[in-house]
Amino acid sequence: MIQTNNLKFKYDNDNTIFEFPDITLSKNQNLLVLGKSGIGKTTLLHLLAGLLSPSGGSIEIDNVAIQKLSNKQLDRFRGQNIGLVFQNNHAVQSLSVMENLEARLFFAKKAISKTVINDFLEHLDIAECKNKKVRELSEGQLQRLGIAMSIVHHPQIVLADEPTSSLDDTNCKKVMRLLIEQADTNNANLIVITHDQRIKPLFNNTLEL
Amino acid sequence: MNIWKISLKNFRYKPLYTFLGTLILSVSIALLVGIQQLDKSFRQQLDNSLGDIDMVVGAKGSPLQLVLASVLHIDNPTGNIIYEEAKNILRNPMVEKGVPISYGDNYMGYRIVGTTQEFPALYNATLKEGKFTEEPMEVAIGATVAEATGLKIGDTFQSSHGLAETGGHAHNDLLKVVGIYHPTHKVMDRLIITGLQTVWDVHHHESEPSYSKEAEVVEKENHHHKEGEHHHDEEGHEQETEHEHHEERDKEITSMLISFRNPMALLTIPRSINENTNMQAALPKFELERLYQFTGVGVKTITWIAYAILIISCITIFISLYRMVRDRAFDLALMRSYGANTFQLIKMVAYEGFMIAIIAFGIGVLLSQIGIYFIFGMITDQYKQKMPFELGYQELLQTVFLVVLMVLFAIAFAIYPIIKMNISKILSHEK
Repeated sequence: MIQTNNLKFKYDNDNTIFEFPDITLSKNQNLLVLGKSGIGKTTLLHLLAGLLSPSGGSIEIDNVAIQKLSNKQLDRFRGQNIGLVFQNNHAVQSLSVMENLEARLFFAKKAISKTVINDFLEHLDIAECKNKKVRELSEGQLQRLGIAMSIVHHPQIVLADEPTSSLDDTNCKKVMRLLIEQADTNNANLIVITHDQRIKPLFNNTLEL
Repeated sequence: MNIWKISLKNFRYKPLYTFLGTLILSVSIALLVGIQQLDKSFRQQLDNSLGDIDMVVGAKGSPLQLVLASVLHIDNPTGNIIYEEAKNILRNPMVEKGVPISYGDNYMGYRIVGTTQEFPALYNATLKEGKFTEEPMEVAIGATVAEATGLKIGDTFQSSHGLAETGGHAHNDLLKVVGIYHPTHKVMDRLIITGLQTVWDVHHHESEPSYSKEAEVVEKENHHHKEGEHHHDEEGHEQETEHEHHEERDKEITSMLISFRNPMALLTIPRSINENTNMQAALPKFELERLYQFTGVGVKTITWIAYAILIISCITIFISLYRMVRDRAFDLALMRSYGANTFQLIKMVAYEGFMIAIIAFGIGVLLSQIGIYFIFGMITDQYKQKMPFELGYQELLQTVFLVVLMVLFAIAFAIYPIIKMNISKILSHEK
């Protein structure tokens, strides 16, 4: 469950104040946030992820007001409840696929089971490259690894920042289907921000900034 | 999975990052450890060589030279003194014992020292096989001599005149090995010990070259016989006939090594010898301290150079860690988005810094040991002296402490970008 109220944000060295419309999502509900670049999409995503702290308003995730958490609590909350999907950088370069997932669980302070991770990778169809380093993966495998990294620790919310902008139509659909399906099976809210109009039909719930 | 593991993976992912820092740090550690060990071994070797010798009495000249020649057996002696006169010193109740030594010859560069049975005792040397020389022309050899020359009990050899290996001429007299000593790691190891009589004998007829060969042989036999008895007397009862006493008066030795019963003697005896006799007294401890002051300059210089390199290596490590932190900013920010806190990332960088330090330490100590192995080899060749090859861990500990301090500095500066990290900014500028 997510609830934001009068969310405002201002960068230190900039006078522009971003004001965001209120968002209310009940369990399992997904949201597509559309808007041109520079309008503050990523800012909104980072506010929800606790990577930025708002200059006004409130964010409640599962009844936790995250703007009130200390830095350390926030790190912990983020590790356990948030999953992030990025456009290009999906995982830590120096680690293999398996090690990345282990590290993800380690930082989230969740139990690490190689068998569970293996099954999960199997399900995402990247089990065969579990011992490969990130740079050795193909584009498609990387996308799937990115999704795996955002889901493996069973977060409350999966936040995706332009997950499809570098993909062709076929892959775009595949990735989005997988993301939605994974969020669904894990009972997580999925929030995708994008300027990519192709994925609009996949969401009932959209927000234009 | 833990922070250590991630650090290790980071370290192995791009080892070239830290290669230069590791290399420079190894060199400075090698220099620091090496010079400390060298200095310590050197001093230990010299201090060791003193044995129980508190004072050396010899002919007038440079006191340092007297000590170098008579105690360390590396320089030429200052001259000779009359044995009888030197013996007078022993009458002083503060003197525990005095061991006369008399130089003359060498065998393959190893000095032949005419002395008494008390000499090996100064160095706590014990016989490995055979016995101490009882008859003239018998010798007992130190461990290094035995090893280097291959001489065994019963072997005979000709000594060459003088103390230098080359030059001089060989004596015709054959010396016979009757004893071999255990290693002491002191000067004793590289000496050939014989009775005073042997040295006197060999040089006695040296001074009478006009003898015909036949006459010489006859004379030598007589002389041997007589001197053999005399030698016996000297060791035993100190009873001497008028004739022998007269001869004894002319006998010369190179120096007398004295141990005191009472440290107070250090204050009075040397001065009275220097003022009232034509001999000089030198205090080995004091002279060696003076020597250290000269060698100390070199040691200090190298130590300072090592410190300078240590600081440079610290800067290099800082730069490599800092670059790593900057270049991996996205990975680090990613880990923050996974829930890692600042402290965990700092640990990650610190562990990498310590890995550099540990590897550099291993390489550095190895390098220093190889270096010292060669330097000791050179010393062994040149001074016929084996050096104790041991690494004092107190010196190591001091170096470890310094290196840890330097690496901590490097880490402290390198983690600045982590503390100031703006995760959102890094993640939103992904390319």
